Amino acid sequence: MASLGELERAVMDQLWSADGPVAATELRAGLADRGVALTTVHTVLTRLEQKGFVTHDEARPRRFTARASREDHAAELMHEVLGQAADRQAVLARFVGSVNEDEARMLRELLARG
Amino acid sequence: MLPVTAAALAVLAALLAWPVPALLGRARWPARDPLVALVCWQALGLAGGLSIIGALLVHGLAPWGHSLPEAWWSWVRGEAAGDPVRGDHWVTMTLAAVLAVELVGVLALSGYRTARTRRRHRELLELVVAPGAAPDTRLLEHPAPVAFCIPGARPLLVLSSGMVAELDEAELAAVVAHERAHLREHHHLYLLPFVAWEAALPVLPAAGRAHAAVRELVEMRADDVALPELDGTDPRRTLAQAIVAAAGRPGAEVPGGALAVTGGSVRARVVRLLEPPAPLTPAARAAALLGAGLLLLLPTALLLLPAL
Repeated sequence: MASLGELERAVMDQLWSADGPVAATELRAGLADRGVALTTVHTVLTRLEQKGFVTHDEARPRRFTARASREDHAAELMHEVLGQAADRQAVLARFVGSVNEDEARMLRELLARG
Repeated sequence: MLPVTAAALAVLAALLAWPVPALLGRARWPARDPLVALVCWQALGLAGGLSIIGALLVHGLAPWGHSLPEAWWSWVRGEAAGDPVRGDHWVTMTLAAVLAVELVGVLALSGYRTARTRRRHRELLELVVAPGAAPDTRLLEHPAPVAFCIPGARPLLVLSSGMVAELDEAELAAVVAHERAHLREHHHLYLLPFVAWEAALPVLPAAGRAHAAVRELVEMRADDVALPELDGTDPRRTLAQAIVAAAGRPGAEVPGGALAVTGGSVRARVVRLLEPPAPLTPAARAAALLGAGLLLLLPTALLLLPAL
């Protein structure tokens, strides 16, 4: 039995590679090798909707779309990590911030000297 | 005489709001023992909050008794004041309440917001990136050399592909050890009050100074904790190389505002790794810790003991 996290990733992978909105039954077909029930697919979709990663249309049956591409999500995350946003402390432990050109040269000289 | 206690607390508050943090911020010894310095900063922050709120409260409640507990109890039970109550008593009492609520409220809000942002980041990461060899480590596709961790019940350690490309095996191990040190010692908790109080008291330069100092010390501490875990002949040099490599190649998306802020502290970290300062002597360590203890004890004693 796959974990919910894995299933969420698998569903998102399908939504990302699909050309348009996808129905839950199609998603289940895509997950056939995992043998998940349709209710499980719906549970996963509901969770993804709550997290704001997925939306559905009003067609019957409902069809689902990813809100943003994988690259957009990665870029969003990196933007927050790299930026000086008000909540930058949330990501406490960025290994090291970036420095400007002069500082970088000075640091390399320091290293070469030692 | 409660007014004397209030005056003493006010003097202490003034010292802790400006000269003391300025001195500690400029001192050189914290780089020799970041952990002791972190303890001192925590004590300083707590003592500062206690003394300013305490000074206002004690002045406000002075007409009701001769010690704060006595006056407080008498006020709570609605007893008549022994001395005439003037307008300034009400004003300082209100200020004390407002300040206490603000400090505690901002701390709670900041903690809540931070937890929410971390949860969001973790969700994003778990969705975008499949787990790597280690279940708590993720490799994020991005050209900027970045490493960070998301603290919490299920911490995540994240390396960017740019970081992996930039560093060799030993340097990467140093980065990972550094990040794990943050997680293991819960450094995010050391930072939380200073983040909150900088937000609560933007007019107080000491709040920003304290936040910056604590942030720098936490990084130094993580460097120290990481070093003994590294293999190789010169782990200090390896870690310094990793820092310089990661800091010197900003990715395309690094905003300009982020640059200048980190420069000085990155340099301090590298210098400290290459030319390690002598650690504090046990006596100096004990003195610093004793100072931190006294710093906390002083306002507490002023608040609780019978009036001077």
